[in-house]
Amino acid sequence: MAVDRLLVIGAGPAGLEAARGAADMGKEVLLVEATGELGGTPYAHYATLTPHLQETHDAMQEMLDGVKTHPAIDIRYNTRVVESEGQAGNFQVVLESTDGTRATEAVGAVVVATGFTHFDPGRETQLYGYYEFEDVITLVDAEHMMKDGRIVRPSNGQPPEKVAFIQCVGSRDRHIGNRWCSKVCCGIASKQAIEIKRMLPNAKVFIFYIDMRMYGFWEDQLYWKAQEEHKVNYVRGIVTEILKKGDKLLMKGEDTTMGRPVEVLMDLIILSVGMEPSKGTLEMANVFNIPREDHGFLATVGEPLDTVTTPVAGVFVAGAAAGPKDIEDSVSMGGAAAIKAVSFLNRLSKSLA
Amino acid sequence: MAQKANPIELEVAVVNGVELNGHWNRIFEPRVISEYDLSVLDEVTAIPGAESLAYCYQCGKCTSVCPVDVVGDYSPRKVFRRTQLGISLFESEDLWLCTTCSDCLRVCPKEVNMISIMPAVREKAVMDGNAPQELLSAFENTARYGNPLGEPARKRADWVKSAGVPVPIMNQHKAPVDVLWFVECYPAYHPRGKEASVALARILHALGVDFGILGNEEKCSGDSQRMAGEAGLFEMLAEDNIKSLSKYAFNTLMVTDPHAFNAFRHEYPKYGGEWPTLHYTQFLAPRLEAMSLTVPIDRRVTFHDPCYLGRHNGEYEAPRALLKAIPGLELVEMGRCRENSYCCGGGGGGMWMDSFTSERLTMRLSERRVKEAVEYGADILAVTCPYEVSRFEDAVKSTGNAGKLKVLDIAELLAHSMGLVTANI
Repeated sequence: MAVDRLLVIGAGPAGLEAARGAADMGKEVLLVEATGELGGTPYAHYATLTPHLQETHDAMQEMLDGVKTHPAIDIRYNTRVVESEGQAGNFQVVLESTDGTRATEAVGAVVVATGFTHFDPGRETQLYGYYEFEDVITLVDAEHMMKDGRIVRPSNGQPPEKVAFIQCVGSRDRHIGNRWCSKVCCGIASKQAIEIKRMLPNAKVFIFYIDMRMYGFWEDQLYWKAQEEHKVNYVRGIVTEILKKGDKLLMKGEDTTMGRPVEVLMDLIILSVGMEPSKGTLEMANVFNIPREDHGFLATVGEPLDTVTTPVAGVFVAGAAAGPKDIEDSVSMGGAAAIKAVSFLNRLSKSLA
Repeated sequence: MAQKANPIELEVAVVNGVELNGHWNRIFEPRVISEYDLSVLDEVTAIPGAESLAYCYQCGKCTSVCPVDVVGDYSPRKVFRRTQLGISLFESEDLWLCTTCSDCLRVCPKEVNMISIMPAVREKAVMDGNAPQELLSAFENTARYGNPLGEPARKRADWVKSAGVPVPIMNQHKAPVDVLWFVECYPAYHPRGKEASVALARILHALGVDFGILGNEEKCSGDSQRMAGEAGLFEMLAEDNIKSLSKYAFNTLMVTDPHAFNAFRHEYPKYGGEWPTLHYTQFLAPRLEAMSLTVPIDRRVTFHDPCYLGRHNGEYEAPRALLKAIPGLELVEMGRCRENSYCCGGGGGGMWMDSFTSERLTMRLSERRVKEAVEYGADILAVTCPYEVSRFEDAVKSTGNAGKLKVLDIAELLAHSMGLVTANI
């Protein structure tokens, strides 16, 4: 007897869309979230959304409310999936809440939407000194400051006069083992550069890049806008080393369009850290025996035409658990996963009826 | 005020007592960019018209089409980059190398508009006295005599005496005409320009066109002075010419010079001077059937599209239609023709900065173009911009092609084929 109930793991944009979609199609949904809040990484860390710069909490509120108030969605906060037995149509999953309480639930299919984690710049092979210099921060640190409506040098609380973004930190690097472009960092850096120029119109803002990867509309929504309207300076060439000089940061690298080394002083350096599979994503690979693709994210079958079906029957994936995704990708995958999972449950109940 | 950029490399280094210029001392000293002084870029892009310099995203498409980069080290991409690095464009030689040929704008995905940037930035440099002396002399001549050559204004219509056909001058003609021919400076004064004017006058006469010229009332249209940074002078000339033209009744304004054509089409209307305007090739092409082209010109002819007729104003067909109609003439196209035509180097004030630019380039643009014409096996390089005859004839000599390649205005070729002149074909 198939269990006509869907488990969605992770309540970021992908999981929320999957849960809402499946529930709207008439399924009982069990939504498990490791933290005490819905909305995932963007909601927790990002002041504004890329590319339109809406305030994240405002922009996502309707999506969150739709899930919170849905009668068919049972949300478990502060809860992780720790074990699973059985198979498609009847998975017996063990949930463990942060207070250690365990519960077993029966579900017929699963959508894994456990997302990504930001690259830890301490692992960067370049010498950026993230853990050494207070004024070297990440995109995420910058978002946290922007949530408070300010951007300052952590070392002295003063607004920076010169700000540099360094792209591709932890991405596109065989040495680190991350052979992928994280897809969103060029856009987010450009978005933050615009926000910094809005807050500090006199600041000089630079983006040092290998190549700007502004796919689709981000080209003019972010890159051209930053360059043309906000006078953000894009410089091709990647920084290899950051040193302390007085109370400033000395950035060393090569300006490749001029073919010359660069040694420039900056007040604040923002590392555009990329995406890696999150802890939850790696745990779910183990719990459900989902193979990981070459780069370590959850594997799907039938790419590029099927983006959400994993090799494990009844287990689907949505969002950045399957690789670097922006929010649009994640939400689209959430919808696709809901359709695949619901139709899977429907087929099971017909064949076993 | 223009700010001096922090020098990021030595212009001259002395190594073991030997002076080495910037190209060489790079080998001996490490070159490190130690500052992005954005004050210069900010200052440049604050000038109305120059904003788009900062739009460059360094794709480099302009570099391969820029006629100057072929013979030197200059392209819009490089101009942006140097400015971003804090090198003052106001004091840089880069500012004077652009011929405003517009080929970069044709290919630029970001629409960085050098046609708007150059005159805007040059205007400031001219006001600050940072322009090549020979250019300032041309401005001075234009202001004083109404032409950049420094020829007396009262001799502007002297060429008419050698026309051999009546060329009515409006203030003596005292009657409306169908066509008012705006002759311009080089066709009025330069010996080779005058020959083309005589040829064109005879063609008009043979066609029975009811035409007249302004004669000594005409002044330089000023378009190239405008592109070279003298907006004030341009305005003065535009107002004077508009005033003179407004005195007379005519249906069509026909111009010899593509630069004047550009001014009448795009700039003079801003000052209240708007007339149906045709380049002379556009005026003649629809009248081909009435032209008795009987004397064959058995030559391989290639055509140099003027930047300001082609790219700036979209006319590529009329000159070709005229050339193709000449019996015996074989038209061969050079690799760089039509939209991608190479520039003769005379536009944007280049006509008056020959010493300045030739010292900074491995070859004149006109010389590069003449070599291309020779490579394509042409006997005659046909032109239809009055800057070009003299530029290309000089280039034919300086590249050692004297006797191999003739340079002739389309009007001369047509008049020759009509038996009206004997051109040196």
